[in-house]
Amino acid sequence: MTVRSLSRRHFLAAGSAAAIAPVVIPGSALGLDGAAAPSERIVVGGIGIGRRGGHVLGSFLEQPDVRFAAVCDIKEARRTAVKKMADTKHGDDRCTMHRDFRELLDLQHIDAVLIATGPNWHGTMSAHAARAGKDIYCEKPCTKTIAQSLALRDIIRRTGRVFQAGTQRRNLPHFAFACELARTGRLGEMRRLYAHPAGMQAAMSGWLPAEPAPDPKEVDWELYLGPAAWRPFNPRLLDGFNFEKGGGLVGGGVLEWGSHCVDLCQWAVNDRPPPVEYAPPRDGQIVARYDDGVELVFREQGWIPLGSCPVRFEGETGWVETGDSGKFVLSSPDLLAGRKVAKIGGYPATFHVRDFLDCVKTRAKPKGNEEAACNAHIACHAANVAIALGRPVRYDNATNRFVGDEEANRLLSEACREPWRM
Amino acid sequence: MRAFALTVSLTLFAALGLRSFASAKDGAGPKEKELIAVLRSDAPEADKAMACKRLAIHGSADAVPDLAKLLGNERLASWARIPLESIPDAACDQALRDAAGGLQGTLLVGVINSLGVRRDAQAVSMLAKLLGDGDAAVASAAAIALGLVGDDAAVAALRPALAAGPPAVRNAAAEACVVAAERLLAAGRGADAAALCDAVRRADVPPQRIAEATRGAILARGSAGVPLLVEQLRSADRRLVGIGLSVARELRGPEVDAALVAEIGSAAPARAALVVTALADRGGPVARKTLAEITGRRDAARAMRLAAAESLGRMGDLESLPSLLTAAADDDADLAAAARSAIAAMQAAGVNDRIVGRLAAADAAALPMLLELVTRRRIAAALPNVIEAMKSPEKSVRTAALAAAGETVDFGRLHLIIERAIGSDDAGDSAAALAALRTACVRMPDRDGCTAVLEPVIATGPVGTRIAMLDIVGEVGGPRALAAVAAAARNADEPLRDAGTRLLGTWMTADAAPVLLDLTKELPEGKFRDRALKGYLRIARQLAANEAERIAMCRTALATARGDGDRAIVFEAIEGMPNAAAVQKAVEATP
Repeated sequence: MTVRSLSRRHFLAAGSAAAIAPVVIPGSALGLDGAAAPSERIVVGGIGIGRRGGHVLGSFLEQPDVRFAAVCDIKEARRTAVKKMADTKHGDDRCTMHRDFRELLDLQHIDAVLIATGPNWHGTMSAHAARAGKDIYCEKPCTKTIAQSLALRDIIRRTGRVFQAGTQRRNLPHFAFACELARTGRLGEMRRLYAHPAGMQAAMSGWLPAEPAPDPKEVDWELYLGPAAWRPFNPRLLDGFNFEKGGGLVGGGVLEWGSHCVDLCQWAVNDRPPPVEYAPPRDGQIVARYDDGVELVFREQGWIPLGSCPVRFEGETGWVETGDSGKFVLSSPDLLAGRKVAKIGGYPATFHVRDFLDCVKTRAKPKGNEEAACNAHIACHAANVAIALGRPVRYDNATNRFVGDEEANRLLSEACREPWRM
Repeated sequence: MRAFALTVSLTLFAALGLRSFASAKDGAGPKEKELIAVLRSDAPEADKAMACKRLAIHGSADAVPDLAKLLGNERLASWARIPLESIPDAACDQALRDAAGGLQGTLLVGVINSLGVRRDAQAVSMLAKLLGDGDAAVASAAAIALGLVGDDAAVAALRPALAAGPPAVRNAAAEACVVAAERLLAAGRGADAAALCDAVRRADVPPQRIAEATRGAILARGSAGVPLLVEQLRSADRRLVGIGLSVARELRGPEVDAALVAEIGSAAPARAALVVTALADRGGPVARKTLAEITGRRDAARAMRLAAAESLGRMGDLESLPSLLTAAADDDADLAAAARSAIAAMQAAGVNDRIVGRLAAADAAALPMLLELVTRRRIAAALPNVIEAMKSPEKSVRTAALAAAGETVDFGRLHLIIERAIGSDDAGDSAAALAALRTACVRMPDRDGCTAVLEPVIATGPVGTRIAMLDIVGEVGGPRALAAVAAAARNADEPLRDAGTRLLGTWMTADAAPVLLDLTKELPEGKFRDRALKGYLRIARQLAANEAERIAMCRTALATARGDGDRAIVFEAIEGMPNAAAVQKAVEATP
C-alpha cells in the first residue's frame, strides 16, 4: 500500500494538535521552574561524544537542571570540542577532560553519565558506570550479545541505578500512541508486528594490517579496543559506529535499527519476553514468533512512506503504522477518537533525556529501562544468530538459552579482552 | 597483505550470513582440524585470531591445547579466550586453571575472568589463594570470579577478604558477595542471603557497595525487610534514599503499600513527593485511593499534590475523578495543568459521562476548564453543550467552546464554525473558529465533502479568508481539494497563485504530480513556476513508487526544462534522491 491508495478510512494524522511533551512528573514538582537549585541539579558526564553523542548532549544541555561537568574521549580533538560546547553553555571553563573513562567514573560529583561511544563499549562501560554508582543514558545498541544483555539488566537492578537506553522514540507521541493502541487491545488481539531492520547481513570488523599508531594522547587505541579482542591500529577500524557491533560476529542492521524498531514492537506487546522462534531471512523478511504465536516480522520493503524507522502493528480488528515523519496511518479514524497526538517529526532525544532526568530524581524506571532494553536486544541478537547460522533457532526465555542448539548457544556470549569484564 | 586479504574474505563471508557455520553439524571435525592447523602453523597473527573466533563455533576439546598455548600471548590471548569461554567442555576449565599458574598481570586477570564466566567450581581453592595476590587487579578479579561461582566454598573464601583485604579487594569482594547472595536467594536460602548482605553493609567498603547490599538485604528478607526499607527512605544519605525508592518499587506485598502510605503522611514534603511516585509505580487500589486523596486535599503540600495528580493520569479510576477535577480548577497553574493532563489521559470508563454531566451545571468560571477537557478527550457527546457555550457572552468561554467544537463537531454542523470564522466581528473569535475549522476538517472522514462545504468561501470571500480556507483544504487533501488548490495556482490574483503553488509544493500524495507538471508548462517563468517544478521533483524524490518511476519523472522534468536554470533544479533535486548516482546516470543517458 502506498499513500496514494490510502482511503480516508486509513486516516493520515497530520499533526493538527498542539505539541505536547510526555513527561513523568511536572517539572515544577522537581524544581525545574527556572534555574534549578544546586540540590536539584544533576551533574552529568559524557563519554565518547561524537556526532550522535553531540546531538544527545545538546538535549542534556537544554535542561535547566543539568550541569555537564566532565567529558571523556579517546580522541583529544573530541574532548576539546565537547568541553568548549559545555563551557560555552555554562559560561565558565569547569568541564574537565579525561582520556580514561575510569577517571571520570571516579569523580564523586558526577551523578549520571551519557555513554555515546561506539557499540563495542556500550554494555561494558554501562556496567562499569553502574558499579561506580552513576545513572546511565546509553546510546544503542546497548549490548553485543545475549549474555551481555542479561548481565547488564542484572547489574542495573543490583546496583539500583537508573538506566535509559538511547531508544528515544519511546518518548515521541506518535510512536507512543501506536504502541498504546496495540498494548491496550484497541487493535484487537495482536497478530503481527513489523520492524524495519535496514539490512539483514552480519558484519565483522576483523583484523586489518597494522599502521603506525598515533600518540595515545591524541587517539588511545588500547582504550578504543577496550573489551574487543586485540588487533593492531588501523584507522579504518576507528569508526566507533560499526566497530565490533554485535560482537563482530553477528552484528549488522538487525541490531543497529532493530534496537529501535524491534524495541518499539516489544513495547507494543507490553515489553514481554522476546520471541522464541527465529527463522533466517527469506524473501526479504525474518519472521520471529512469540510463545503465543504472535509474529514479529523484520522486513525491508512494503512500508507506507512515513519516514525512517517505521513500525506496523496488526491486530485482529485494526492496524497502525508510523515512522519518523511523526505521522501515522490507522486502519480506522475511530482509533483516534478521544485522543490528540502531537506530531513531532524526526527523532529528537529531548523528551527521552527529560524522562531519564526525571527518573534520576524519582528513581522510577524510564521508558527505555534495562528490562525493556534487554528484551529488545535479545530479540535482535537472536535474529542475528539465525542469520549467522542460516537456519531457524528456538530460544527459551526461562533458561535464556537456545533449545537443543549448541552452535547457537556458543553465540550467546563472547569473552571480553583482558582486563575488561561485564 | 595476506592478513588484509583474509580479513576481507571473512567480512564477505560474514555478509553472506556466515552460512558455513551451518555446515558444522555436517562435520565439525574437519573444520576444527583446519582451524587447529592454522594455530599450529606460522600463519600471520590475523589468521590465528580469526581461527580462534571460528573455533568458538567449531571447536572441541581437541582445540583446547593449542588455544591454551596462546593465553600467554599478549596479542592473541583475548582471541583464544573467546572459544575457551564458549566451548562446553571441562577441558577448557582445566586449561584455564593450568594457565593461571603460569601467568601474571593482565593476562592472568583475563584467565580469571574466564573462569568466573564459566563458573568453574573447581577453581575456587585457586581463586581463594589469588585473593591474597599482591597485584590488586588479580586479587579483585579473583574475588569477582568467586562471586560468580557463588557456592558455599566461594562465599567462605570471600568473607575474610571482605573483612580484612586491601581496599580494592574489599570493594570487589563486596560486589561478589552481593552477586552470590542473589544466587542464594534464588535457591531459597533467603536467610543466608540476608546475612551475607548484612556482612557487606557492615564492611568498610564504598557507599555504592553498601547501597547494593542494602537492596539485597531488604529483598532477601521479603516483608520482614520493610523496616529496613523505611529506614532507607528516612536516610540522610541520598544514595540510600535512592535505593529505598528503588526497592519500594521492587518489593511485593501489602506491607510495603502500608509503609509507604505511612511515610507519605510523616515525611517532609519533598521526600514524601518522591514516595508518592514510588507508590504510584506500584499501582493497585491502595495507591489509587491515596493518590486521589492527596490530589484533592488543598492543605497537602504542593509537591505531593503535583506528583499525585500526574500519576493518576496513568492509574486513576472513576473514583479519582472528583479529586482531579478539584485540582484542575486550582489557582496553582502547574497543579491545574497536571490535573487536566491526568484527566485527559485517563482510560477509565465513565470519565466522559461525568464531564458532560458537570458541563450542564457549570458556571462561566468553571466552563473553560471543562471545555478544555472536552477538547483534549474529544468528547462527542458534549457537542450540544459546546454549541451552547459558543454563544456565551464570556470570551474565555467562547474561545474554549470553539476549540472544543473543532474536536467534536460533526459534518452536519460544520457550518456553525464556518459562520463564526467568516462572520464574527470579534477577531479573537474568528481566529479561534478558523483554528477549530482546521481541526474539524482534518478529522472528517469525508474529505471531498469538507472541501465542497468550503468551496463557496474560497470562491467569493476576501482574499485573506480565501487563502485561509485554501490552507485548510490543503491539509484535508483528496481529489477535490487538489482541484481547488490547482485552480488557485492558476488564478489571476497573485496572492492566490502564491498560496496554490505553495500548497502544491508540499502536497502529501503523488496525484499532485501531473498538476504540477502542467503548471510548469503553463506558468510564465518566475518563482511560481520554479515552485511547481521543484514540487514535481519532490514527489519524484519522496513519493515515487520505485526507482523506475523516479527516473521517468526526472526525465519528464528534464524534457520540460526551458533552460539551464531548470536543468540545474532537476539535477540538484536528483542529488537528494535515494540512489542518487544511479538516478543521475539513468537520467543523463536519456536520448
